[in-house]
Amino acid sequence: MDSRTLFRTCRRHRKAGRPEEARGLLREALRRHQLDAHELERAGRFLHGCQTVEPLPHVRFLGQCTTEWLAMSLNAVSLARGLPMATSWGEYDSVVPEALALVESAQPVDTVVLLPWLRDLLSRDGRSVQQQVADTLEHWRGVWEVLARRPGLRIIQVGLDAMELGPAGVHAGASQGALAVAREASRALQEHLPEGAYFVDLERVAGDVGRRHFYDQRQYRWAKQPFSAEGLQCLAEHIHAGARAQHTGPRKVLVLDLDDTLWGGVVGEEGPLGVRLGEDPEGEAYRGFQAWCKALSKRGILLAVASKNNEADAREPFERNPSMVLTLDDIAAFEAHWQPKALSMERIARALNLGLDSLVFMDDNPAEREQVRQALPMVEVVETPEDPAEYISAIEAGLYFEAVSLTDADRVRAGQYKAEARRQEAKASFAGLDAYWRSLEMRGQVRRVDEGDLPRVVQLVGKTNQFNLTTRRHTGAQVAAWAADPEALCLSLRVRDRFGDHGLVSVMLAVPDESPGTLRIDTWLMSCRVIARTVEQFFFAALVQRARSQGSTRLVGEYIPSAKNSQVADLYERLGFQPLPESDANIDRWELMLNQAEPPKHYVEEG
Amino acid sequence: MNTLEQLNELFIDIFDDDDIVLSRETTAADVGAWDSVMNVRIFLELESEFKVRFTAGEVANLKNVGELVDFIEARR
Repeated sequence: MDSRTLFRTCRRHRKAGRPEEARGLLREALRRHQLDAHELERAGRFLHGCQTVEPLPHVRFLGQCTTEWLAMSLNAVSLARGLPMATSWGEYDSVVPEALALVESAQPVDTVVLLPWLRDLLSRDGRSVQQQVADTLEHWRGVWEVLARRPGLRIIQVGLDAMELGPAGVHAGASQGALAVAREASRALQEHLPEGAYFVDLERVAGDVGRRHFYDQRQYRWAKQPFSAEGLQCLAEHIHAGARAQHTGPRKVLVLDLDDTLWGGVVGEEGPLGVRLGEDPEGEAYRGFQAWCKALSKRGILLAVASKNNEADAREPFERNPSMVLTLDDIAAFEAHWQPKALSMERIARALNLGLDSLVFMDDNPAEREQVRQALPMVEVVETPEDPAEYISAIEAGLYFEAVSLTDADRVRAGQYKAEARRQEAKASFAGLDAYWRSLEMRGQVRRVDEGDLPRVVQLVGKTNQFNLTTRRHTGAQVAAWAADPEALCLSLRVRDRFGDHGLVSVMLAVPDESPGTLRIDTWLMSCRVIARTVEQFFFAALVQRARSQGSTRLVGEYIPSAKNSQVADLYERLGFQPLPESDANIDRWELMLNQAEPPKHYVEEG
Repeated sequence: MNTLEQLNELFIDIFDDDDIVLSRETTAADVGAWDSVMNVRIFLELESEFKVRFTAGEVANLKNVGELVDFIEARR
């Protein structure tokens, strides 16, 4: 179907009251890269006027340049990338008044994208570069402070770049050059960013497309819209990666096929030393890709293998081929057999205790990709190019693993998950769960949330889905305010066991309620790494003990059902709470009188 | 298809409206959604459809659809 027919058909569907069919057609065309950048923006405009059954997460753009077109591009990009969003935009260059209006309004906005433009920064009005950078930072800090008045609002802050490089030419990046000023201002913004905000490095994004093609000077003169159609698409993709990282957390696992994905040829036929990994262009491409994967795993993204092979054959190159860059230690879960790959995905997710939507799957075989895509739409499937030399650029363009911040916790996580996979193996051989739990020799440390814990706590609040009673995505400012309240109990839990240190894995924010003597558990979440090991019972016992000693008499627990948190639907019941009559369809409320609370059984030692 | 008919097809797509009927005399005032942002979009879409280039002055000064048709035909 050519694009004109496509849009005609979509309009016909919409007119006939079938907007979902129109959206489906556009999604397929976008996924298959059948629309050019102009058509993508047009698709975004069509989607803007297209009703959806469920309300979508809403992103509002506030910019010092025209943002309407960027918003349209995000409509289309977000549909193509499996997490559709609705958009709106504020008046051109009215960021502060728009922010003030937004925090006063009841408009259902989840995320604000802030887009600075360099014009003000480079105005030659006698201020020094340092002064201009300081003024820019002060302006945006003011905006962040305004937005913080609306709890739960997420911020995506775009940085600065130079559309024109100015008289310094090749020295634009040195001292007073346009690029140097933009970089300095960007760095200042990034350093002072509010907790949980996502930063889009505009110079880096421009580099993806190339500055000459990323900007469009004519459009800037015509409409104060500085980006080309291609630039809009690329920037919208980066903004969407950030919104997804804030909304559902980043993808956590790269699942790799072996034959013709990690090496050339079929190991079952050519043998562990016969696969192509040598000193020729093809072998170098595979080894380069392996090195890229290894670096990704060092950053904390897990690697897994899903291969149709005999298991012994599949492991042999890792063990015996000296040209292999990846070793078996780099692989957190290994699935080699002749069953469907969708089954391998499920087994990998289970072994690592993660949701299927944490997986990204890469396979040179289009039939395998299609099988996984159809069976498990929540798994992201890389449109793998034919030439292994292009694997890295294809996967980098997907922006699958963008995270709000790279904390130290992310980097050690890779090691922790591997220990978890081994633990799962150990579990299989124990007679009873009690024996297994005891053998883990778990130790837990409960503390009040302090400044040092705050980044990790806010990160967990922002991304935990499964063990999360309310899925309230509080901002860093909100958590900090509660943590400073002496009547609230904001607790963090660290757990280690025989196999390794899990770090800070659980957070409980219990805040004073209107009724006297009552603490309401506003937020309780736990990393899925320590689920099903009585850790929650231990943490809850610690809360009960602390609540009693500060004189509280009653706890109120809340459960808000989401698509992912059904495993904790009965948690309060299991802990001995009684249902409260004021529960409704959206929120279950429970209470526990502290003088009746019995300590739940657990296998975690204090300390 | 002559240039005017081609323009008509394109306007239907750009304005996302099947009911648009253009004549040489049509101006921005005759089409409801034709504001300044839309004006820029129209020129960009025309550029990619007809493989022509407009300057900033031309974008501001073309008065009606007839002038647009003449301009495109002269450049092609």
